[in-house]
Amino acid sequence: MLMPDIDALKAEAKRILSEGMVDMVIGFKAGDTPLHPQPAFFKTPDEVDQLVYNALCQNNLATYLTRFPKNQKIGMVVRGCESRSVNALVFEGQHPKDGLYLIGVPCEGIIDWRKIVEQTGEEVFSIFEQSNNTVLVESKSGFFTLEKETLLHESCSRCIHPNPISANVVIGELLPEGDPALAREKVAAFASLSMEERHAWFRQEAERCIRCYACREACPMCYCEECFVDHITPRWTESGTTPAGMQGWHIVRAFHQTGRCTSCGACERACPMDIKMTYLTEKLNEDMRRKYNFEVGLDATTPPPFSTVTLDDKSRFVI
Amino acid sequence: MNLILKKDHLKHLLNAWRQDYEVYAPQSLQNFTHFLPLQDGFELAFDKAHNTRIPPKALFLPTSEALLKFTRFGGYEEVPSETAPRLIFGIHPCDAHAMTMLDTVFEQERYTDPLWKARREATVVVGLGCDEPCKTGFCTTVGSGPFNHAGLDAILTDLGEIFLVEILTDKGEYLFTQLETASEDQSMQASEVQQAAKASMPIAFETEGLKQKLDQNFASPYWEEVSRSCLGCGVCTFLCPTCFCFDIVDEAQRGERVRNWDTCMFRTYSLEASGHNPRPSRVERTRQRLSHKYSYWLDQINQIGCTGCGRCVRYCPVGLDIRAMLRKAHQLPSEVLHA
Repeated sequence: MLMPDIDALKAEAKRILSEGMVDMVIGFKAGDTPLHPQPAFFKTPDEVDQLVYNALCQNNLATYLTRFPKNQKIGMVVRGCESRSVNALVFEGQHPKDGLYLIGVPCEGIIDWRKIVEQTGEEVFSIFEQSNNTVLVESKSGFFTLEKETLLHESCSRCIHPNPISANVVIGELLPEGDPALAREKVAAFASLSMEERHAWFRQEAERCIRCYACREACPMCYCEECFVDHITPRWTESGTTPAGMQGWHIVRAFHQTGRCTSCGACERACPMDIKMTYLTEKLNEDMRRKYNFEVGLDATTPPPFSTVTLDDKSRFVI
Repeated sequence: MNLILKKDHLKHLLNAWRQDYEVYAPQSLQNFTHFLPLQDGFELAFDKAHNTRIPPKALFLPTSEALLKFTRFGGYEEVPSETAPRLIFGIHPCDAHAMTMLDTVFEQERYTDPLWKARREATVVVGLGCDEPCKTGFCTTVGSGPFNHAGLDAILTDLGEIFLVEILTDKGEYLFTQLETASEDQSMQASEVQQAAKASMPIAFETEGLKQKLDQNFASPYWEEVSRSCLGCGVCTFLCPTCFCFDIVDEAQRGERVRNWDTCMFRTYSLEASGHNPRPSRVERTRQRLSHKYSYWLDQINQIGCTGCGRCVRYCPVGLDIRAMLRKAHQLPSEVLHA
């Protein structure tokens, strides 16, 4: 177990604030229950005392980056996926690279609080990650020792890049890189289903949607001032929870992520209806890897294949 | 008068009701429970102590529904509002209480919503009290409770092998004609369960004077603070049993005028045709959500517009907890000094 040293994390956050290197550090603080740490915005070194970091910190903090003016200097605690999202946003001109200070932490995966609650009941007093890859939970119903592996979100079980990329400093020991074959297996398993089965799965997932757009808001790459679903003239998709409206939202949302999604899974974690979405984006990510040898966010300068246009493009439809 | 319903008789009773009603009860759907119509061979999902993920308001105000159909040549027809008799079984008191608040919105004297009204009138509601109230719930804080009677035709108390049934209305009485009467002991036992449930719930925040604090601090930096991590999604409001906002859209390609759930947490909700948005950021939208529930409802019906079901607390993707937000609000200064 290589949880980063929280004191070292705090010390670094305090240092960059007190030395005036950043105006704010985005991290997590404790929530009302140990199940829900909250994103937090620390503006003074004293506030950093509240900083927490553990496997229940479920949000991709990069989603907040686009809220702040570009001249604001922002520090952020980033894991592998978050650092790649930051890079993708920097590439898309959403924040200048030199206006950022990234405190990297290698990540062993995010725990699904729902999977804890299923076993322990909802009144959870404390959660400790132990060195033998187990999690000790104390709840009203007693003590529970749970295998961490079984609690992880799917997106984290198949994570390829657990280590922060382009971080200014990394706190904690680097982890071995994940195996892309794991991600590929999932995609292949879905692709091996018949068209009817895949369609049935897609419908079952998409049509549970209540269109609250938590997936959109949780996603760092969904920062459009006006989302296509909110656009009125012309209308791109049906507004309500009709099958066409829900399918339209889910399929177009996924396609807009082509070459931009870092597989962080924040969309699924935010969904109040437990809708699976990464099976769509993972397919697109796998296509990007296979056809273009491209993974987003490994740096902040390589353009995603679908974000480039050159005069000698094979297909001339855009120009 | 209290009655006794043996648990092993429950399925039989539900099936008998199915002759006369479409019966909705909590059943498993994916990883959560949902009010679904009972089919042959149904399995109830009461073991998951929580409320259903989507509040039963959706049975009266669906996420989307057509209000009228029109043609391109100018004709239109309204969607009929008749509803076949329905029975909702196993609704928790917070959700039933919320429905009575929504009645004040949809059944106002001058503006009655025919669809809502028809559905309410066609529906009998049998509640299941919460002998083990959920941790995120705070019904007793906001004037409801784990065995509150508002909005219910009958309420059940779980006494192990049996449910004690309290009949609350004529509609309820009509449902339970064949059951034996509860003994005084059994009624006493139920009352103890109910008291214990209530007593187990701590007061989550002070409501006395809360409205004034919110009103007086309309321009406080507090709102920026509590909304900073808000994603601006619709989870808290869509899963809320008292939130009712909707948008009306013409789906021209289908020739339907549709009503969809909408929420004050969305940018487009308050966006005006001119492009001006009186609630331009999450700060104003968060203020609207909290003030509506804890101030404006009080102006309108003298009740807090929240029944403490706890869904917003449990499912907020960033762990924002309305209870903590309101505890903080209560500490705001009473008189805001103007420069």
